[in-house]
Amino acid sequence: MPVLEKLLVSERVSALRERVLCIKPSICTERAKFYTQVYREHEDKPVILKRAIALERTLKGMTIFIEDGELIVGNQSSCHRAAPIFPEYAVDWLPKEMDELDKRPGDAFFITEKHKDELADIASWWKGKVLYDKGLSLMSQELRDLQDAAIIKATGNLTSGDAHIAVDYYKILAIGLTGYLKEIGQYQSQVKRYESEGIRKDHFYTALTISIQALQSFILRYRELAYELAGRETNQERKKELQTIGRNCERVAGQAPGNFYEALQLVYFVQLVLQIESNGHSVSLGRMDQYLYPFYTKDIQKELITREFASELLECTWIKLLTINKIRPWSHTRFSAGGPLYQNVTIGGQTESGLDAVNELSFLILDSVGRMRLTQPNLSVRFHKNIDEAFLMACIRVIEKGFGMPAFNNDEIVIPELIKLGVEREDAFNYSAIGCIEIAVPGKWGYRCTGMSFLNMMRVFLATLYDGQDKYSGKTFYQGLGNFVDFNSFEDLYRAWQHQIKYYARKTIEIDTAVDTAIEENVPDILCSAFVDNCISKGKTIKEGGSKYDFVSGLQVGIANLGNSMAAIKKLVFEEGRITKKQLIDAIESDFTGREGERIRYLLLNFAPKYGNDDDYVDLLLKDAYMEFIRELEQYRTTRYNRGPFGCKYYAGTSSISANVPNGAVLPATPDGRKAFTPVAEGSSPASGTDILGPTAVFKSVSKLPTNKIMGGVLLNQKLSPSAIRSEADKQKLVSLLRTFFADLKGWHVQYNIVSRETLLAAKKEPEKYRDLIVRVAGYCAFFTTLSPDTQDDIIARTEQTL
Amino acid sequence: MVFNIQRYSTHDGEGIRTMIFYKGCPLRCQWCSNPESQSSEPSILFDARICKGFGDCILAAPKAITLNSNGVHINRPAISHPLRLKDVCLSRALTVAGENKRVEDILQEIEKDLPFYQQSKGGVTLSGGEPLSQGPDLTHLLEELRMRNIHVSVETSLHVHWKKVARCLGLVSTYLVDLKHINREKFRLFTQGNIDLVLTNLRKLVEHRENIILRIPVVPDFNHSMQEMEKIINFAASLQHIREIHFIPYHTLGIEKYNMLGMNYSFGSKKSVDPSELTPYVNYALTKGLITKIGG
Ligand code: SF4
Repeated sequence: MPVLEKLLVSERVSALRERVLCIKPSICTERAKFYTQVYREHEDKPVILKRAIALERTLKGMTIFIEDGELIVGNQSSCHRAAPIFPEYAVDWLPKEMDELDKRPGDAFFITEKHKDELADIASWWKGKVLYDKGLSLMSQELRDLQDAAIIKATGNLTSGDAHIAVDYYKILAIGLTGYLKEIGQYQSQVKRYESEGIRKDHFYTALTISIQALQSFILRYRELAYELAGRETNQERKKELQTIGRNCERVAGQAPGNFYEALQLVYFVQLVLQIESNGHSVSLGRMDQYLYPFYTKDIQKELITREFASELLECTWIKLLTINKIRPWSHTRFSAGGPLYQNVTIGGQTESGLDAVNELSFLILDSVGRMRLTQPNLSVRFHKNIDEAFLMACIRVIEKGFGMPAFNNDEIVIPELIKLGVEREDAFNYSAIGCIEIAVPGKWGYRCTGMSFLNMMRVFLATLYDGQDKYSGKTFYQGLGNFVDFNSFEDLYRAWQHQIKYYARKTIEIDTAVDTAIEENVPDILCSAFVDNCISKGKTIKEGGSKYDFVSGLQVGIANLGNSMAAIKKLVFEEGRITKKQLIDAIESDFTGREGERIRYLLLNFAPKYGNDDDYVDLLLKDAYMEFIRELEQYRTTRYNRGPFGCKYYAGTSSISANVPNGAVLPATPDGRKAFTPVAEGSSPASGTDILGPTAVFKSVSKLPTNKIMGGVLLNQKLSPSAIRSEADKQKLVSLLRTFFADLKGWHVQYNIVSRETLLAAKKEPEKYRDLIVRVAGYCAFFTTLSPDTQDDIIARTEQTL
Repeated sequence: MVFNIQRYSTHDGEGIRTMIFYKGCPLRCQWCSNPESQSSEPSILFDARICKGFGDCILAAPKAITLNSNGVHINRPAISHPLRLKDVCLSRALTVAGENKRVEDILQEIEKDLPFYQQSKGGVTLSGGEPLSQGPDLTHLLEELRMRNIHVSVETSLHVHWKKVARCLGLVSTYLVDLKHINREKFRLFTQGNIDLVLTNLRKLVEHRENIILRIPVVPDFNHSMQEMEKIINFAASLQHIREIHFIPYHTLGIEKYNMLGMNYSFGSKKSVDPSELTPYVNYALTKGLITKIGG
């Protein structure tokens, strides 16, 4: 594979990029108005039809525009980076938070007084009708209390929907939108309308047809607009461009695309409209370098396109991805700092026959993302043993730019484990990253390969010490096996943990079940179902069990703290007796204040083994403790069980975005020496500042986790100072390091933050100067200046590996 | 006696390496950045900045450690058993560098990164202090490493008796030899050592056709001038079989450690040498047909 020479960013692209970066995010009320209108007018209709009609009306009525210089067109709302509102999910919070939106410490939104009034109106109609209310009312008081106590958090799914999915772009590009209409028509003609199941299916197919046709007319609106603009355009070059845009839209509104440019435009339209239909994030693009490659090579061979132009188109697409925006309630925003949409693009990996899939387009995508240095798309590279060395080096050069991309996923563990789960071989080889680091087979997998409920593991651990009482809320959710001071051995404590964690594992499933049921009944996605196998043939939405596979995961937060706390107690209290049981309890209750408290804290911090240092003592303890949770989890099935999909199982996950900050904010002091209300460790990374033996030790520790049981993602974030990979030799060593972690240790994922501490401190002080500074916050990239000070501090505090 | 084992070292030999730092050095280079390595006894380091004043060290060594108006005061000569202070300080403001580690324990640490050495063609680098000054444990370790097929580099000043070098012949893959100067007087003045010992050993090592890389610390007022460097490079180039030479710019990262050890940093220059200042030396070495590198 030749290393491509450096391309320069064109004037057009830098202008478009700069323009988008300067936009202040705002709120757009158009979608909310159309959806509310339709819901009001069609109260009698089944929800699936209501939603199809609402999508249709929105796509017909919403403002569309083509900006100067754009080559890829399509907008989500009345202006770029304006977040549409999805009132049917939850809207109560909006009037309440409206006046604070532009004052948020992170992810601020600008909103006009007029829009505030409109939204207040809209919100009043939706009272009691939204997903959020319906979801909560499906839950027992106990489940609601658990959420109010902030031990389990699942409201994000109710206020902001599901997603975490990639659709089947291979098929979309192969048969075109009209192809779908034909297929739907065929199935609909066979529906047995005399069966109750048949009625439901009939509505579903009608809804599918309405939605696809709505998408087609939406695309045709851009054709009209492009031709109209072309007619007025005096610049001959731009006139031609607009005419091409018009022709592209004409073609892909109906048929399958005929060339690379059309294919890319269609992919973008689908990606866009999925995010107008539904509120969920992590709608991902799958293996773009694979499904676009046939178009690309054909065009290159026929000399219809140059590599430079293909790159420019990709860059225009990345900028468009960034224009898509989303607003979340503040409660949820804290869990996903930086406001990203996690639209993942996956490149590299293997073909179905196990050959290296890296091609020229993989390089083009990698380099174009590297040139743009934006938060979107979230770029993942699939590593495997035989991956092109030049490609890996090219990845390191992009990592060096310091915006946290690409992240790596590992075929060497994912593929064999998927096959073990029962996924068909060719599907397993075709997996892609979704959102940040989680994985699924595009177009065949249901929603939420991760990101169901968040469980605050350390709150459970603390309850273990207090006979089941949660000190933070004062409630006893589940009677424990006694108080810590009465435990006679570490085994007593461990048994108490087994006892508590089982209960909480079960409760996360109960909450997920309520959420899934509410989503299925109230906000079925139609368009998204059209593009996922086998929804059309089965006549079911994804949530009803239409997808081929269904595996989901919740997120467990505070992994490293759990291991460190257990190890500290085992060693210092039960083995060495350096701390008495009472001293420990007093110390955490006083948040390590006073001379005695501080002494205990330093003992805990400095004299007990810490996860991340390749020390079996703590690493294996953590593995066991986590497995207690996982074993319980494995007994449960999703709401789709026996309704069609293969699997319907839960596995564990740690790709908990920036949830380590808010989870820490509701957590008293812990026995690992962590002060009350400070962040816990993120994902599967070591706790901040405790990994003192460098990256090889971190990799070893992480690889001791039961990775094959944590298919929701084993998130590892490492920070690199730029100096660490300046020379070619240094980069080569980083490549070797990665190869060992993935090929030998079978690690899941790693991503690098190449930013110096000084830069971060400066950026915190003078945000205006660092508008484009991007950091990796757990599984994704965010503009540093949009993060809340707490999250900023946490990032600054993380150990800077001396690579 | 070992004072540090550092994993993922990438600037001291090929690939990803684990460095074993030994205590004890026959030289006293004025610019030394590892002052805790010089004494062959355990050294007490005290970092006043993170001292919490818990006072456990005073309880453990009341005659040697006292509290005065300036904080904790340590009278090091009065401490007869420094190792007893090892785990006394809770905040780790007071630490003890140096531990008699068993060969098995060192091996265990080394083997932890085995897969990384294999991928990167790395291995182990023995450093110090002066690793060759160590007792019989050193050869024992080298033999074990040879048996495990682990690549070994040794960083040495060669300021030791030849028999200490000779025992390692055949057990070390690469010698990273410090060639600080070739002028007898300057060498003595700045390191308290005898250059003849170094040069004789070096010539013998060359005769044994060992794989040698020369490393020149570039130190202001000592050898950081074209005139001196030319002589050193000429000498290096005159040695048969020597192909590679590294220039290591002087840095000041170790100065704080002098304070922590209660030692004086008497060396004049407090400013690090910028790698770009070494370009003329590199160019000169290139004309002599040597492979060169800045930094390790
Ligand atoms: S030879 Fe090395 S360890 Fe010994 S004094 Fe000189 S610089 Fe320090």
